[in-house]
Amino acid sequence: MSASTAESTKGASPAAAAAGFTPELQMANMLGLCEAQMESAIHDSDKAVDALIQAFTCLVDTSRSVNALTAQLPAEIKETVGAGLSQQVEAISKQMASAVVAFQFYDKLSQRLGHVRYSLSTLALFVCDRAQTTSPDQWRRLLNTLRRLYRTEEERQIFQSVMEGIAEEGPVTIAALQEGPAGVQVGEIELF
Amino acid sequence: MSGVILAVDDSASMRQMVRFTLEGAGYKVIQANDGVEALELAKTSGADLVLTDVNMPRMDGLTLVRELRALDSYKYVPMLVLTTESGQDTKMRGKQAGATGWIVKPFNPEQLLATIARVLQ
Repeated sequence: MSASTAESTKGASPAAAAAGFTPELQMANMLGLCEAQMESAIHDSDKAVDALIQAFTCLVDTSRSVNALTAQLPAEIKETVGAGLSQQVEAISKQMASAVVAFQFYDKLSQRLGHVRYSLSTLALFVCDRAQTTSPDQWRRLLNTLRRLYRTEEERQIFQSVMEGIAEEGPVTIAALQEGPAGVQVGEIELF
Repeated sequence: MSGVILAVDDSASMRQMVRFTLEGAGYKVIQANDGVEALELAKTSGADLVLTDVNMPRMDGLTLVRELRALDSYKYVPMLVLTTESGQDTKMRGKQAGATGWIVKPFNPEQLLATIARVLQ
């Protein structure tokens, strides 16, 4: 019997423990499955985003080369096509700035999913120990651990909405949070 | 714009986004994956500004700021924290560590450049 199985069968009936079945172990396995699925999905999307960033890097370099070439054009050509080219390069630069903001959301998403994965594996360990699951103090401790884990504004709001307004309003509040104002929101800047 | 900026983040994609933005404005960018690497790099190549994430393996961004502030050569160098964290407690810890400012991700390229120009004045 593995250490985790031994842990998970603490307090179970002898027959159930002998059969290697406990509700706690099943729950831990299911949570482990969710965590593994999430890890695999994040790994695959990381690869796709890496490829996208490589392509974006090439676009940025090309755009800068075109800009430099435009600046070197002979005066007579600059007069006819220079202004048009500069306008196009300017338009590309603006689109790239938007892409830089959008790429950062993926980074934030990876971070948030990492926190969810950690929560799932922490919960899987927790539920295996019946002495912990029957103690309100241990649940409070677990909740505090998770509270400290969720550090972005969005995570904190959802945590509060679900755990502190845990009644029937929970899901409604989350939906309201997700609506948000239109357009891409960037973070605040504060100088000390 | 000129100057050397040390960008510290354990996310390669974030470092790329910061590099595009800063190099496009004329800054030279040196990069580190975590606080330990950044501290070594800062000692060997002088930076005019440090832009660091908070949560990183080996050494976090606030410890990095504190360690750099203890060095004579970085006492007055602007240090901006670029993070997803927006809690007042963490911000306060950043201020106490010696950070010059706090930028919450995702950053807007224009606003980031304006902030850097301001603190480099």
